[in-house]
Amino acid sequence: MLTRDDILKQIQRVLAELFEIDPARVTPDANLNSDLAIDSIDAVDLIDRISRVIGKKVSGEDFRSVRTVGDLIAVIERLASK
Amino acid sequence: MRQRPRMSPTRTGTDLRADRIRSCPLISQPVSYLWRLAGTGTSFLLFGLFGILLGAVVFPLLRLAPMSRERRRNLSVRLVCWSFRRFIGFMRGAGVLSYEFRGRERLGRPGQLIIANHPSLIDVVFLIAFTPLAGCVVKASMWRNPFTSGVASAAGYVRNAPTDEMIEGASSALQSNQALIMFPEGTRTTPGKALEFHRGAASVAVRAARVLTPVFIRVEPLTLTKGQPWYRIPPRRPHFSLVVGEDIDISPFRANNPLPKAGRALNQFLIGRFSSHQPYN
Repeated sequence: MLTRDDILKQIQRVLAELFEIDPARVTPDANLNSDLAIDSIDAVDLIDRISRVIGKKVSGEDFRSVRTVGDLIAVIERLASK
Repeated sequence: MRQRPRMSPTRTGTDLRADRIRSCPLISQPVSYLWRLAGTGTSFLLFGLFGILLGAVVFPLLRLAPMSRERRRNLSVRLVCWSFRRFIGFMRGAGVLSYEFRGRERLGRPGQLIIANHPSLIDVVFLIAFTPLAGCVVKASMWRNPFTSGVASAAGYVRNAPTDEMIEGASSALQSNQALIMFPEGTRTTPGKALEFHRGAASVAVRAARVLTPVFIRVEPLTLTKGQPWYRIPPRRPHFSLVVGEDIDISPFRANNPLPKAGRALNQFLIGRFSSHQPYN
């Protein structure tokens, strides 16, 4: 079972790899768009990667309400446990 | 004593007014101006009528015909292509515009992403008319416009929003070997401003294009730009020049790069390629 901390670490790793974002800036409060400069096109690439990491097909719909890294952790937690 | 010819140091208001009147096409060449105005109006009317006819009569009838979705879509796309060609033929014949389209035989290859700059309202009509079996990424608002919604849905065009659905739709069109037209500026060019491309087209290209082909469009004098009403026609008949450029090799951008990086790099490359080809100021 993944803990929220594990998920955060994974997100930090993926964001560093895809967008070269310093993991220290990736905190649960960080806003993906305004703090980390991830736009809607980056989001598509990010969601693709998440889908591959958790090994499940996910859709953009699941992520519509995501604003912060914390929201993202919550959605991944829900999807991974389904 | 010899009189020295001199430029008049000040010009009177009457002179200026006379100049303005002389340069107004309605005064200097009233017949050709009014003819082009009427022709432009008729073109818009025809376009709207055809859009309604296809959307309200032809495509609904086609839906009743027993054939596969794929065949129906292909037939619809062919019909749109044919009508757009007639439409351009009409505009050229009526003297509303003139055009040259170089290299168009290289449009319409399987999995080909065609990207073009977007100076004028009718760029998309040209590209669809001359690309066999073309798909196109178009504004989502086209589905709400009664003149265009029938065409957009029957031809299976891809909505530009939301972004994730656009990228998915565009990629799957290319992967199923369609040719797809995209305007990376997203909307018509603002004259005088530096060129800006949304990354959507570059992102679709690195994901799914088999071939990437630029088309450079130039309109002289500029007409039907963003926010310009149809009756604001230019002083001379506009000439459209469309040039199909060399294919762009995507593989170096894809190599060893995660998608976001590849997309950004390709987008920068494309901006450079189009800026150097087009006078934007």
